[in-house]
Amino acid sequence: MNEEREVSQEMQNAFVDGQLDAADWTALVERMGSDEALRRRVCELRTLKDMTRSAYACVHPRRAAAAANRWGWTRVAGVALVFALAGWLGHGSLQRAPAVAELHGVAADRILVHVASSRGEVVDSALQEVEDYLRAARAAGREVQVEIVANNAGMDILRADTSAYARRLERLRAAYPNLTYVACNQTADRLRDRGVVVSLLPGVHVAPTALDEIVKRMQQGWVYIRA
Amino acid sequence: MKGLFGVSAQYRDQVEALREPLYRLAYSWCHDAGLADDLVQETLLRALDRGAQLNDAQRLKAWLCAILANCLKDHFRRARPLEPLDEDMPAHGATPEAASASSQLAARVRAEIERLPLGQRQAVTLVDLEGFSYAEVGEILEVPIGTVMSRLCRAREALRERLMEFATAQNNKIRSIR
Repeated sequence: MNEEREVSQEMQNAFVDGQLDAADWTALVERMGSDEALRRRVCELRTLKDMTRSAYACVHPRRAAAAANRWGWTRVAGVALVFALAGWLGHGSLQRAPAVAELHGVAADRILVHVASSRGEVVDSALQEVEDYLRAARAAGREVQVEIVANNAGMDILRADTSAYARRLERLRAAYPNLTYVACNQTADRLRDRGVVVSLLPGVHVAPTALDEIVKRMQQGWVYIRA
Repeated sequence: MKGLFGVSAQYRDQVEALREPLYRLAYSWCHDAGLADDLVQETLLRALDRGAQLNDAQRLKAWLCAILANCLKDHFRRARPLEPLDEDMPAHGATPEAASASSQLAARVRAEIERLPLGQRQAVTLVDLEGFSYAEVGEILEVPIGTVMSRLCRAREALRERLMEFATAQNNKIRSIR
């Protein structure tokens, strides 16, 4: 570091963030000994850093459900790690949740299909695959269960006022009693926060969060598929 | 899978400990409690879906933060598809005037951070709240390290201009009360 040159703001920030190498750190400390303005600037940066940290120290997840469901989330951690560690440990069969287009090849008898999008091609594909799977299982005499879990934009398909799939979903449910629909209450709360009156299609169940439902089912041995 | 649950038990505390930082980061980026809840949920759901992408368990936190950053990006794309993303995008929500009325330093700091463009807000919170290195922030936000440094500089310069005087006045007030 050249003593004659002004210490750049980038260097000052890197100093307070502990990002300088030993030589630059030493040079800057020496420079501060004779440069009061630099000392003041560094002091201000440290103060700002502390203020930022303090400003968010009291921020915690707001929902009581989230706090009460600590163990539920711990299970998520476990399941997330099942997939994360699967990659890490090299267990190919667990490396990725299968896509909905691969549903026909899934041998499991309990399937959870997660729909987080309301895009037509996504929903159409998911419903078609589910119907094909249920039909094939019935023809083969297999007892299977399928659950469609919706959150975020995907919730639209389960809402009475927004669903473009109400008839199709009702027809499927009537034809296959082993098919259930589950809506995410966290998404519903977000809609209510915005003043939306949330009215779900008949027969739709509600889970505290989509994540809770997915974790619960995976722990019960269901296969998770993201549409 | 049962065996992996057994193996993962030693990591459960580690991941459980990440839930709060993830939420705090999400909140510091969007300043909307409900949206922060959704972003954290979506982050964990994507983690389920993309577990194979994590090659180093030591990088779990940075990996989840990168997913969180992408979740926020996707949220803004959905909400405002025609507007440019990245660092020029200001936050929505509370004004600093509203926050200063509360006369609380923390609220004022949060309001000023909320005023920062998204890229600057993310850089400063990843470094200050979570202690990530510049290189890690670059990986999380998918930008060069030089961009991280310039965003940090601009963020802190803006915060310094807006907050130092206020902080000094607050400290003087506290001293006079004592």
